[in-house]
Amino acid sequence: MAEGRKAMQEKRMGRGATLVAVMVAFVVVLAVFYGLDHLVMGIQGLPLNPDLSPAG
Amino acid sequence: MMSGKGMDMRRVGRLWLQLFKVAILVIAITPSLLVAGDVASDGLSVDQRIAPVGQVQVEGGPIVEMPGEEAAAVEKPEPLAAPRPQRKDYPGVGVSSRAIVWVVAQMHLFFGALVLAVPLFVLVIELTGVFTRDERYDDMAHEFMKISLVGFSITAIIGGTLALALFMLYPDLMAYMMRVFRVQWLWYAFLFFVESFFLYTYYYGWNALRYGNKKWLHLTLGLLLNGAGMTIMVLANSWATFMMAPSGVDETGVITGTVWEAMKGPLWNPINLHRFIANIGFGGAVVGAYAAFKFLSTRDPKLRAHYDWMGYTSNFIAILAFLPLPFAGYWLMAEIYAYSQQMGITAMGGILAWLFIVQAVLIGTILLAGNFYLWSGMSRTEGSVRYQWMIKYIAAILVVCFLTWMTPHTLILSAREIATLGGSHHKILGPLGIMPAKNIAVNLMLVVTFLSFQLYRRSDKVATVSWAPVANGFMVAIYIVAMLNIIFVGVYYGYFTNTVYKVGSSVVQVASTLVVIIAGLTIDGFLFKGAKKLPSHWGRVSDRSQYALFALPIAFTWLMGLMGYVRSSVKTHWHVYTVMKDNSPDNFIPTIGYAGNMITLVTILFVLFVLFMFWIANISGVKQPRPGAAEGEAA
Repeated sequence: MAEGRKAMQEKRMGRGATLVAVMVAFVVVLAVFYGLDHLVMGIQGLPLNPDLSPAG
Repeated sequence: MMSGKGMDMRRVGRLWLQLFKVAILVIAITPSLLVAGDVASDGLSVDQRIAPVGQVQVEGGPIVEMPGEEAAAVEKPEPLAAPRPQRKDYPGVGVSSRAIVWVVAQMHLFFGALVLAVPLFVLVIELTGVFTRDERYDDMAHEFMKISLVGFSITAIIGGTLALALFMLYPDLMAYMMRVFRVQWLWYAFLFFVESFFLYTYYYGWNALRYGNKKWLHLTLGLLLNGAGMTIMVLANSWATFMMAPSGVDETGVITGTVWEAMKGPLWNPINLHRFIANIGFGGAVVGAYAAFKFLSTRDPKLRAHYDWMGYTSNFIAILAFLPLPFAGYWLMAEIYAYSQQMGITAMGGILAWLFIVQAVLIGTILLAGNFYLWSGMSRTEGSVRYQWMIKYIAAILVVCFLTWMTPHTLILSAREIATLGGSHHKILGPLGIMPAKNIAVNLMLVVTFLSFQLYRRSDKVATVSWAPVANGFMVAIYIVAMLNIIFVGVYYGYFTNTVYKVGSSVVQVASTLVVIIAGLTIDGFLFKGAKKLPSHWGRVSDRSQYALFALPIAFTWLMGLMGYVRSSVKTHWHVYTVMKDNSPDNFIPTIGYAGNMITLVTILFVLFVLFMFWIANISGVKQPRPGAAEGEAA
C-alpha cells in the first residue's frame, strides 16, 4: 500500500518535472524565435521594433 | 595456392598498370612533341623560318611592322550580332516545330533528371551499406542502378533526336548558341564518354569490387560518375539560363565575354540548385514506383519485405529532397524578379499565374500521397500506436493548407456573377488568394510533413536516455512556436504592413521551417542513440499504400512539365531574351489549355517509357527453362 503511494508520488513528481521542463522549453524557444525574427528581417535591411512592428 | 581466376586478375591488373604507365608517358611527352614539330634543326620555329626577307630592324630605329601582323589586323573579323531570322528562315515540317521540340526536350529532361539523380542516392546508399556492414543496402543500391541503366540509353537517344530537331527546325538560333558557347559543346560531348565509362565500370564492376579496398575503388567510380553527371547538368543548364538572362554578350548579341561569362548568368546557380534537388526527389519517386510495382506483383513474403523496404527508402529520398525544394524555387523566382521585373510579373502575375494554382494542386497531391504512405507505413511496428492519434490533426492541417494554397486570387466570372459577388474578389476567399496566405500554407504543410516523417522514424524506437522528457518538451515547443511564428509573420507583415516587409517576412517563414527540420533531425539523432529498438515487420503494409508510390512520380512528372513550360514561356517572343527575337510561327505563349494537353501527352509518354524500363529490368532476371526440363522433372 505504502509502496503504491510512493510510486504514485514519484509519478506525480515526474509529471511535475516534465511540466516544468516543457514550460522552460517554451520560454527558451519563444526567445529563440523572437531573436530569429529580428535577425532574419535585420539581415534583409528591414529592422523591427521590440514589439516586432516595422522600425523602418 | 593461387586459383586460376586469381592469376587472371593479377595478369589483368599488371596489364592495366602497364597501359596506365604508357598513357601517362604519352600525356607527358605529347606537348613537347607538338612544340618540337614546329621547331627545325636550326632552332628556328616555322614562323621564324618563313618570315619575309628584307625587313631590317635598325637598332634604336623605329619598329618595323611585320606584314603578317598587318594582314592579321586587316582580317580582324567584324563583331557579329545575334541573327535576326525572318519567318522564311524557319524550316517547317507540317507540324508545329515548337510542339516537336517541346515533346522531345521534355522527354530528354525527364530521363536526364532520372539518370543523374539515381547514381547520386545510390552512392549514398552504398556508402551506408559500407558503414553499417549491412549487405541489404548494397543489394538495394545495385538494384536501383539496374533500373536506371536502360534510362541512360533512352536519355542519349532522345538527346540525339533533340539535337537533330533543334538544328533542323531552329538553325539560326543553334548557330548563335554554337557561337556563344564555342568549345563548351565539345566538352559536353566529351563528358558523355567520361560518364559512360564510369557508368559501365560502376555498374558492371559492382560484384567484382564488393569488399575491402576494392569497395573503396568502386565508391570512387560512383563519385566520378556523379561528378561527370553533375557537370553535364550544369553545362546544359547554362544554355537555358543564357536564353532567359543572357550574359557575356552586349544588347545586340555581340559576344563580349568568355564562355565562362556566358555561362555564369544571374539565373544559372538558382536553376542548378533547383534542378539538383528536384532531380533527386523525382528519381526517388520513380524508383519508388518500381518498388511498388514489384511489391504488388509478388506474394512471396521475403520479396514483399524487400520491396516494401525499397519503397520506403525511395519515398524517404523523394520526400526529404522535396522539403527544401520550395525554398530553391523561391530563390529562383526572386532572382528572376531581380533580373527583370517584367519577366517575374509574366511568370507570376500574368497569364502564367494560373499555373501556380495547378502547381499548388500537384504539390498538395505529392505531400498528401507522401504523408499517407508514411502513416500507412507506421503499421509495420507496434510502437506506432503511441503516435497514431496525431495523424488526424496532421491530415486536417494538410487539407486546410492545401485548400488555402489552391484558392485563386481572381475568379473567371460572368458579369452577373461579379454583380452578385460585389466585385471580382470574394470577401473571405479573396485574401486567401494572395501570397502571404499561400506562404503560410506551404510552410505549415512542410512542417507537418516533417512531423509525419519524424513520427514514422520514432515509431520503432524507445528513447532510453534520462533527459528524453526535456528533449521531447523542446521538440513540442519548437513545433508549436514555429507554426505560430509562421502564421504571425504571414498575417501581420503580409496584410498589415508595407510590401517590402511582406516580401521579407517570407524569409522568416522559411527560416522557421528550417529550424524545425534541423532541430528535429539533431534532437532525434542524440535522443535515439542506443535507443531500444522495437521490431519492424517489413512487408506488413497495405496494398493501398503502394498506390501512393505510383501517385508520386506521376505528380512529379506533371509538375516538372508544367514548371518547364512556365520557365520557357517567360521569354515570351524571344529566343534569347532581349537579344534574339523569335520570328517563328510559334512566337507566342501558348494557351494554358494547349499547354495542359502537351504536358499531359509528355507525362503519358514518359510513364510508358518508364514501364518499358521496369519491364526490361524485370526480364533481365528471368531465365527460360530448357524445353523438356519441366516434363522431365514432373515425371
